[in-house]
Amino acid sequence: MMIKQLLLVFVVLVGAPIVGGLLFGIDRRITARMQGRYGPPIIQPFYDFLKLLGKQHIAVSKMQFVWIYGYLVFMIASLIFLFLKSDFLLLVFLLGFAGVSLVLGGFSTKSPYAHFGANRELMQIMAYEPILLLLAIGIYALNGSFLISDIFKQEKPLLFTLWPLFLAVLYVLTIKMRKSPFDIATSHHGHQEIVKGVTTEYSGPYFALFHLAEWYEIILLLGIITLFWTNPLWVGILIALAAFILELFIDNITARMTVSWMVRLSWSVGLILGIANIAYIYFTKGVS
Amino acid sequence: MADQMMAIAILLPVVAGFLILIVRNYYARNIVVVVTALILIGNSIFLALKGPFTYTPSGFNWGLLITILDYAILIFYLYVGISLRNWLVLIFALAQLIPLAYFEFVMKAHIEVSPAFVVDHLALVMTLVISIIGSLICIFALRYMYDHEHHAHLEKSRQSRFLFWLVLFLGAMNGLVFANNLVWLYFFWEVTTLCSFQLISHDRTKEAIHNAARAVWMNSTGGTAFILAIIYLYTTQGGSSALSVQNLIGGGIQASVVLLPIALLCYTGFTKAAQMPFQSWLLGAMVAPTPVSALLHSSTMVKAGVYLVLRLAPVYAGTYLSTIIAIAGAFTFFATSALAVSQSTGKRVLAYSTIANLGLIIACAGINTPLSIAAAILLIIFHAISKGLLFLCAGTIEHQIWSRDIEDMEGLAAKAPLTTLITAIGILSMFLPPFGMLIGKWIAIEAAYIVPLAAVFFVLASTLTIVFWTKWLGRLLQVLPQIRRPFEKLSPSYFVPLWTLLIGIFVVGIGVGPIYQNFLLAATNDVVSGNQIIALGVNNLILTTPSIMQREILGLFPVWPLYLILIVALLLPLLMIGLKPTELRPVYMCGEQTGGTDTDEWLAEADKKTKFQLGGYYYQSVLGEKRVNPWANAIAILLLVIMLGCGVIVI
Repeated sequence: MMIKQLLLVFVVLVGAPIVGGLLFGIDRRITARMQGRYGPPIIQPFYDFLKLLGKQHIAVSKMQFVWIYGYLVFMIASLIFLFLKSDFLLLVFLLGFAGVSLVLGGFSTKSPYAHFGANRELMQIMAYEPILLLLAIGIYALNGSFLISDIFKQEKPLLFTLWPLFLAVLYVLTIKMRKSPFDIATSHHGHQEIVKGVTTEYSGPYFALFHLAEWYEIILLLGIITLFWTNPLWVGILIALAAFILELFIDNITARMTVSWMVRLSWSVGLILGIANIAYIYFTKGVS
Repeated sequence: MADQMMAIAILLPVVAGFLILIVRNYYARNIVVVVTALILIGNSIFLALKGPFTYTPSGFNWGLLITILDYAILIFYLYVGISLRNWLVLIFALAQLIPLAYFEFVMKAHIEVSPAFVVDHLALVMTLVISIIGSLICIFALRYMYDHEHHAHLEKSRQSRFLFWLVLFLGAMNGLVFANNLVWLYFFWEVTTLCSFQLISHDRTKEAIHNAARAVWMNSTGGTAFILAIIYLYTTQGGSSALSVQNLIGGGIQASVVLLPIALLCYTGFTKAAQMPFQSWLLGAMVAPTPVSALLHSSTMVKAGVYLVLRLAPVYAGTYLSTIIAIAGAFTFFATSALAVSQSTGKRVLAYSTIANLGLIIACAGINTPLSIAAAILLIIFHAISKGLLFLCAGTIEHQIWSRDIEDMEGLAAKAPLTTLITAIGILSMFLPPFGMLIGKWIAIEAAYIVPLAAVFFVLASTLTIVFWTKWLGRLLQVLPQIRRPFEKLSPSYFVPLWTLLIGIFVVGIGVGPIYQNFLLAATNDVVSGNQIIALGVNNLILTTPSIMQREILGLFPVWPLYLILIVALLLPLLMIGLKPTELRPVYMCGEQTGGTDTDEWLAEADKKTKFQLGGYYYQSVLGEKRVNPWANAIAILLLVIMLGCGVIVI
């Protein structure tokens, strides 16, 4: 049991960034095609990563490096929680620590651009965190526990009852993938007024760490979406991939919006979807 | 033996307090305080090891003494009300005095409650929190008050007076959690109000006296409700046996009949725990020197409020009163977390966060399952440690930069790296895994689904919690490129309490499994007589359902592996990463930066050198007090009315 789990952890540690990096490569390719360009090879993210690793260390403050490690390690920790089918609520809290680390990394320099980005990243946390926590409560309402392993025991997919929360989680996915209209705190494309936002002051190997964390993150997010259909699992994975492609479309057909618009939309539509969903389960199913 | 130890816990602070008043020498007084603190700490630990007991003092007529002191305190409030021309203080002093006199002289009530003191596991947990954390704060206050008066250029030292009330507070709190006789509990309750009045008004400024008076009248409304509850219980439940807390919660009295006085007592708890709409007295208390805030917020005063609500939990279990308490507490948690986001004064952020967490604890009491009661007890402990530490940090920072404004703390990491490090850990321990506060919150959310509205408030509030803490921490950390920053020197009176509490966060946090299993489980069972509801190992925190027949796992929390993750994520990089001078670069300023790495100037319009300045966001237009308070207070008052209504309409 223990050895099997350790093996799983190892596979996740090595496998997740490979798949995540490839997904980012596919992202760039599809986006390029949508914009009428040819696009880079699919393994371009790995080339970029290796190139960054070889660059010189440049420091603005020591703490920013500490926090980027925090971002990476807590991201990996929450991913491992997902694969070990552990407590979903704690997974969300760990993901919160990862987000806070990134914000503090931005704050720990005296850089105006990093500060813009950090403040906006914090607003992003404020926009997506309650939806994920409501999802946890929704899962509890259905299964009577927060354990991901209990989701796998259910015959009926979560999507049937939790579809409003599913829509809200798609919204979270757009925020977390830093896609338009929510490429607010930092962006994969250059945006003049925030430069690179929260990651402005990272360069070289430490910027590579940020990319690595993003690869783990995309697997984690798609993994959470997969939870909506775990029986059979391949349907869930297909749904997650479809959601991924959908995000690319959304990215290309929308312009970026303001922070306050994002928070307002998530605290109105997102929360109403989530709360209505939980209220519906509570009043039809009662306390399990 | 146990009764002598209990007497030490209550009476030693009184004796030591008078000794402090007499001793005028700074060093001699320090010795008295430190020795008292050490005895109190040791005493509370031995008391906890000894386990629960009951005791009724005999010989001396303590009841008479307490009655006399009751009147003395109330007459003092009358005097305060008249001399300050503060009619609210006067009215509520009379509102306590008249019913009390009526009760004792007209009704000729004869109060004989046996046992007078019941020390169960919950009381032991409370006395550990009070004695250990409270004593550390008293030690901190020694140097703090010295610096404070030095900075204020006082001619005549008033430190003795300050320390007298500070130490007395601990005795009153210990008495409060031990008392089984409601009349005696009321007395200790009033003593804590009196101590807080004296401490808040200590600086004698107009604002300090005004805020202290507000603390008195708000808490006096609670005191009035307390007396009414006592009279109601005495008259309808047949005499003094109804005034035993143990009888009340032990089902000796039929719950449905007794709901109105319970609602009144919960109202009393709400006032003392500064729940909305009473939050303003605790915010006003911020004018006092920081050790007062630390004491009021972590181990005493407000914890008395949640203690009372928690203690009474079994009486109102399963009623609408319980549900409304859960919703009211959760609402306070949410609304004050939102208000904290808009605050730019460090101590006000801490104050709102305290009120929020007390709301969470009260909500847990209202949810009223064994699981949520366990969460409430854990939160009381963890909150006391973390918040005690944070207030002491705020005090230390204040005496380094002589400001309480978060904007003035900008870049504190460069000026005072050690204080910043301790503060940062304190802040992280308030809202992130794997620290104790999050364990408590985790269990609370697990338990909250039976009151879904409370669960939704929990979710929103914990999100807002992330925002205001991160914002503050971010302001501290902002620094210019530099290689090495030597740690600053702190007085032992500062660093001993700081380090002790810091270590406490980790010891209690990592050891939460064994501590719960061996000690807190019994406290939970003392509050609700339930089965073993939480199985905790050293590695894992596992929540299970109460039924013995079928053990269903609700959640799982690997505690120490998460601390390992924390070490790998933050501590190792902090120690391992070294910077070379050649690696340092100035921040990106679009090429308009002037000079080297250690300047923060750039070429603004007309190539004029200008310092660039960064500030925090406070979202005043959305979450400011002016905007939120009218709504939040209205909802909170409505909830209070419904709560009292639930007491009248017995369902």
